[in-house]
Amino acid sequence: MALCATCLVDQFFPEVGVATVTLLRRLNVDVTFPEEQTCCGQIAFNGGYRTEAADVARHFMDVFESERHVVLPSGSCAAMIKVYYQELFRDDPEDLERAQALGEKTRELTDFIVNVLEVTDVGSPARGLVTYHDACHLLRELGISAEPRKLIEGVPGVELQEMPNSEVCCGFGGLFAVKYPHISIAILDEKLEAIRASGADTVVANDCGCLMHMRGAIERRGLGVRAVHIAELLAGE
Amino acid sequence: MPVDEHPNKAAFLQRVREALGRSEPLLHMPDHPTLKSALPRQEEKVRTVRARVEVSRARNIKRLAETATEASWYVHGPVAAEDAADVVAEIATGLRAKRVVRSSEDVFRRVNVDGALRRSGISATVLASGRSRDRSTLKALAFEADLGITGVTYAIAETGTCVVTPRKGVARLTSLAPPAYIALVEADQVLGSMDDYFALTRLAHQKSRGRVPTYVNFISGPSRTADIEQTLTIGVHGPGVVHMVLIA
Amino acid sequence: MAKVKSAAFKKASARAVRDEGIQHALTHVMDHFTEARAEAIATDYSDESWEAMRTRAAAIKAHTIGNLDYYLDLADRSVRRNGGHVHFADDAAAATQIVIDIAKRHGVKRAIKSKSMVSEEMGLNDALERAGIEPVETDLGEYIIQLAGETPFHIIAPAMHKTRGEVSDLFHDWLKSAPTSDIARLCSIARDALRKHFETAEMGITGANFVIAETGTVVIVTNEGNGRMTTSTPRVHVAIAGMEKLLPAIEDLPLFLRLLPRSATGQRTTSYTSFISGPRAASDEDGPEEFHLIFVDNGRLNLLKDEVLREALSCIRCGACLNHCPVYRKVGGHAYGWVYSGPIGAVVTGPMTGMKQAADLPYASTLCGACRDVCPVKIDLPKLLLHLRHRHAEGSPRDERTGTWMERLYMRRWHDAVKTRGALERSTRLGRLLQKPLVRRGKLRSLPLPLVSGWTKDRDFPALAPKPFRQIWKEGLGGDSDAG
Repeated sequence: MALCATCLVDQFFPEVGVATVTLLRRLNVDVTFPEEQTCCGQIAFNGGYRTEAADVARHFMDVFESERHVVLPSGSCAAMIKVYYQELFRDDPEDLERAQALGEKTRELTDFIVNVLEVTDVGSPARGLVTYHDACHLLRELGISAEPRKLIEGVPGVELQEMPNSEVCCGFGGLFAVKYPHISIAILDEKLEAIRASGADTVVANDCGCLMHMRGAIERRGLGVRAVHIAELLAGE
Repeated sequence: MPVDEHPNKAAFLQRVREALGRSEPLLHMPDHPTLKSALPRQEEKVRTVRARVEVSRARNIKRLAETATEASWYVHGPVAAEDAADVVAEIATGLRAKRVVRSSEDVFRRVNVDGALRRSGISATVLASGRSRDRSTLKALAFEADLGITGVTYAIAETGTCVVTPRKGVARLTSLAPPAYIALVEADQVLGSMDDYFALTRLAHQKSRGRVPTYVNFISGPSRTADIEQTLTIGVHGPGVVHMVLIA
Repeated sequence: MAKVKSAAFKKASARAVRDEGIQHALTHVMDHFTEARAEAIATDYSDESWEAMRTRAAAIKAHTIGNLDYYLDLADRSVRRNGGHVHFADDAAAATQIVIDIAKRHGVKRAIKSKSMVSEEMGLNDALERAGIEPVETDLGEYIIQLAGETPFHIIAPAMHKTRGEVSDLFHDWLKSAPTSDIARLCSIARDALRKHFETAEMGITGANFVIAETGTVVIVTNEGNGRMTTSTPRVHVAIAGMEKLLPAIEDLPLFLRLLPRSATGQRTTSYTSFISGPRAASDEDGPEEFHLIFVDNGRLNLLKDEVLREALSCIRCGACLNHCPVYRKVGGHAYGWVYSGPIGAVVTGPMTGMKQAADLPYASTLCGACRDVCPVKIDLPKLLLHLRHRHAEGSPRDERTGTWMERLYMRRWHDAVKTRGALERSTRLGRLLQKPLVRRGKLRSLPLPLVSGWTKDRDFPALAPKPFRQIWKEGLGGDSDAG
């Protein structure tokens, strides 16, 4: 199985990548890391710069298309490959076909664990009261909401306490967060309030984009909540 | 007397066509199931609808009473035709209605509403033009009335709806202008769903070679608004109190 | 046409986010709408059947829009057969002139109006006033907005941002009513004020929720009864419809009459649905003697021309995408600067009124997809927003392009930096070097870069990790495994 670390994890949150490897190895998965990988191209695609996005996406397909399984610790990047590559290569039959083939074998991490490995108890030693935030692309583009919850509930030392409106966006939205920081923060305020209302000490999500955004405000304001990637919780480090 | 075509029509349609990537009008009607159904097929469909409505009548009436209640109608009955007029008079008395207007559907021949109201000391005016009444006075009469009563063409169990079709003898304002309203619904007028109603409507349209009633109203409860602070308020421009009398 | 102020989105949205009154109304009302919708659907349908209904509705609208010239022609012939007049207006000005001409011909002094979004596009009320005709909005929300001199805040709840106190003040100023905080009392003040207009107005102007091509029927869905009044008491009725409002046949309607009220107000059905097929017949007791239907383009052709954006013409104006949009829920309707707001407003405003002035709108979305999931006709709003961003960045004609040189430069640099592994490693090494003076405990408290510096106003930004994952992998984590 080939790991696509995603550029956020590779460059900003390597500990999430390490946790992903630890977790998958504990489940006896042979993890490889194709070192030519860079980025899926989502940031340019979302900005409207499809020429640049397509160029980077072709590189991504070159790197990964020979693999049997491609796993990413991100719903957003997985959605880019599985859903939005089809839009990106709409007018290019050859690349469209490649994109479809790659999309079919690409899985977000918790989707891979629950639906391919068919495991829900990953043997994590983690403890605590956690609440789960549904990252938008994971939930709405990939339809994944039960899988991460099953895995969290499968950790004996962890109790899952749902927050109100867990499926409502946190206000990140990639470019949106830098283009309209005032709106982004206003949306985040509601998410942080929901997290507080849950009473949990840790908020878990499957995307480093949401986490970076939530954590940025949690740390700036000195709120007593941890925002961690699900791989970290499940690895139990 | 067909009305003239608008001078901009041809150019307008041509631009639409070109935006769709065509330069010529379609030669045939586009393939669409609800448009394609020709008269024999529609007659067949309506036969099925009528048969279903027949066997489901009791269930539909029960459902209508539920959905209408949920839509804030006060539902009465089903009562026998000979008792229905008294029910109407009782409602009118309860509302302290003094000026009552009604329409003149067939149901008023079977249900002597005028008689029952008269016994309660209330006189009803038929809101229709005729020998003694000019059309121009109808509006003022409707706006002065405190209760309107009409029959229906159909009722729809799915949505708690009375279908009222204004025409000769049935003014648009009778069910609209007074602050209270009573609809008389006979058992054989009750349909199951909106699909039933529109299947019948389309057949009527096909059979009359394109003619449809000029005006039809679905009435599904009292006039309401939530435009101020999302607070539900009953009775803005239409009747705030609506009663449905089901006649067995 | 109504003024387009979408270029001020940034400023207007910042104002709205700080406005306590607006924030209070938004939180309160949006939750009410979303809960009512969910409950109304769950009461009568399973998830699967609701989904199947949405799919069918999307297909019917796509079919209709895809054959729009045919259905416009069919509708035109049907309405005229019914004795009605049909007009085709290319833009707001033409549509406005048609209304004014009809009014003048009948010597109309006052026109009553039932809610019509197209008339908002046209800025019809101002135009009528200039022509010496007094327009009176009769939907309570629209009436309040008209008295306040504003535009609708929400497609179906135009005055949702007004408190009862503000409404009381407006009524006091305009109608000389005694101040009150009783909402029922406020409704009855409006009722009394509007009654005399219903009795005396010579012309009624409405929108159209649907137009049935085969029968030439205009369908109006309302709750208050003002729509019925407007189409019953005046001598002339003018219905104004966007050209996309068509459905082929009457049996297509029940599906849409199920989807619309549940999606909009969370009702099983609205209080009234009116079906108008021409002027009153000679034998009818009452009703307008003349009926006019105006089909309006006003920029819709620009949506139709674009094979991706065409989907936006399926919209039935229920407002569900607004209610579920995290951005709308914070900035409200006025920030979008024209008539339509929320995700659908962000899609249609540019193509309909001019791409450049509305260029901020397609980016005013987190692309969370909640709008698409609740849309009763399954418009893929995120896809359309992404498509508009693409047009703004790389589209032709070039004058649609609104990306700044700085933005383009960033994208170019990003592209060069991630094109190959070597480039990525070189550029992130440089980044680690450059960030050094700014990093405090693994964080950046400010990003001194144009375009992105807004991030750190209220949030920290993570620093590039001392060692990227790829290096950790190479230095031992990867072990002996084939690095692929």
